[in-house]
Amino acid sequence: MTTDMSVEVGGLKLKGPVLAASGTFGYGTEVPLLERRALGAMVSKGIFLRPRAGTPPPRIVETPSGMLNAIGLQGPGVEGLIRDYAPQWAQWDFPVLVNINGETAAEYGELAARLDGVPGVAGFEINISCPNVEQGGLYFGNDPRAAAAVTEAVRKRTDLPVWVKLTPMVTDIGVIARACEAAGADALSAINTFVGMSIDLNTRQPRLSFRTGGLSGPAIRPLAVHLAHQAARAVSIPVIGIGGIMGAEDALEFLVAGCAAVQVGTATFVNPSVIAEVHDGIAAYLTSHGFTSLAELPRYLPRD
Amino acid sequence: MFLLEAPLVARREVGRGMFVLSLDAPQIANSVRAGQFVNLGWSPGPLLRRPFSVYRTEGDRIEVILKAVGAGTAQLLAMTVRDTISCLGPLGHGFEIPSPRRGEGQGEGRGARSVALVSGGLGVAPMPLAARAARAAGMSVTWVHGARSVDELCSEADGDEVIWATDDGSRGFAGTAVSAVPETDMVLACGPNRMLAAVAMRWPDAQVAVETYMGCGTGVCLGCAVPLERGGYDRACKEGPVYRAADIDWSVLPAHLAYAISA
Repeated sequence: MTTDMSVEVGGLKLKGPVLAASGTFGYGTEVPLLERRALGAMVSKGIFLRPRAGTPPPRIVETPSGMLNAIGLQGPGVEGLIRDYAPQWAQWDFPVLVNINGETAAEYGELAARLDGVPGVAGFEINISCPNVEQGGLYFGNDPRAAAAVTEAVRKRTDLPVWVKLTPMVTDIGVIARACEAAGADALSAINTFVGMSIDLNTRQPRLSFRTGGLSGPAIRPLAVHLAHQAARAVSIPVIGIGGIMGAEDALEFLVAGCAAVQVGTATFVNPSVIAEVHDGIAAYLTSHGFTSLAELPRYLPRD
Repeated sequence: MFLLEAPLVARREVGRGMFVLSLDAPQIANSVRAGQFVNLGWSPGPLLRRPFSVYRTEGDRIEVILKAVGAGTAQLLAMTVRDTISCLGPLGHGFEIPSPRRGEGQGEGRGARSVALVSGGLGVAPMPLAARAARAAGMSVTWVHGARSVDELCSEADGDEVIWATDDGSRGFAGTAVSAVPETDMVLACGPNRMLAAVAMRWPDAQVAVETYMGCGTGVCLGCAVPLERGGYDRACKEGPVYRAADIDWSVLPAHLAYAISA
């Protein structure tokens, strides 16, 4: 008996609930070993209108059960993405969303307009939560009015699915979630990395050149499950859970906590076949508990 | 690129606290080139894999060289023969060494008859494979290996001429490995970034294998950024870890890392 793992998330019909998180899968073309068989969708590395060099090294440091990164959204800019990557995406059997970034709401809108209709681009994930850029990024994710303004700027320029990636660095994620929903988001990705810092005691300087970085990995998982759950309780659009998923049981926690799907990120660095393993593990859990589809999985989502 | 569960088959000590681990990894052993690396994961171990230059190959086995520089490498050294280590590789772009047959060499080093392999400490890691490739190309190999003192040297060497260098003069030349290098047609170097910056000053065309922190090892995370003289960054794990020395902006590449590419 095969388990029906398909799921509809924010305007896209996906063959499974396990997605590749932005910034951890590159543009999907780099690693021949990266397991694509079970991939529900891929979210591209974050892109700006123009090419960006990124931050000086060191850019990453391992921390207990996690890692800090400050890459600074290095990338080829939208024209490079359209030229070099989108044509490959158009051949694939799963959708690719582009993670879009800007310093102003208008720049997000321009990016969406430029990418709308490009073959291979199935939708957008608005990044209002990158901790590693000087302008924009996290700022838009902290303020419900700014979050809504960016969402609206993108919504007006495209009919493709629009997801918004939320930051955990807020007092009440529900407020931001509702603002994005009201501004026209089709789904929410929760959450991006936490802002963290690590000090080298030999130099007595921060280990990262950017001073701070985004914390990911299993260290943040319980925090992420809680925040994704809070977001899911606040809105009626789907929430995609993200944060420290290393295996199927981790993903199932997010799903039971109210998420429609999940994204796997840091684990991909360690295990190139993790997406397929998580997908298969979820299916095995459903089967062994007597469910014939993912849709039958009971969610723990009490309404206020 | 292969992902293997590689059994640990042997271990030997080659310096004070410096060990060579031998892993059964046939596909990697048969395809790795000098200067390429493997990204190893072990359990219990750290979250991220750790990159190691391939030190030697022997039949279906690959060797890596390391010291315990942190909790992760201590766990790796505590493993026993027949334990398995997850091995991803070969990764990266290795040294450009002219092919054995005359006239087929490409890029740097074309027509070279002699090469100096210059290493500091664990920077010895890529040199045995480089020596083998250079000798196959008909070059004479000068092996120059340095450390702070005699017990920090790697005792294994492979050159037609072998030069030892120690900062304290406890073995061989008293001074840095770089200052001990004789005249050769070509220079390949690996060691602390500070040493490689000195290499770049003396031989702009030298090929150097740099050390950086690394996340994925496969080009997706952009964590191992190497600052370039022409501006911007590329990836030690993909375009590197071997670069033309003068192509790196040494003022931006961190001189000191708490753990190294080879550790």
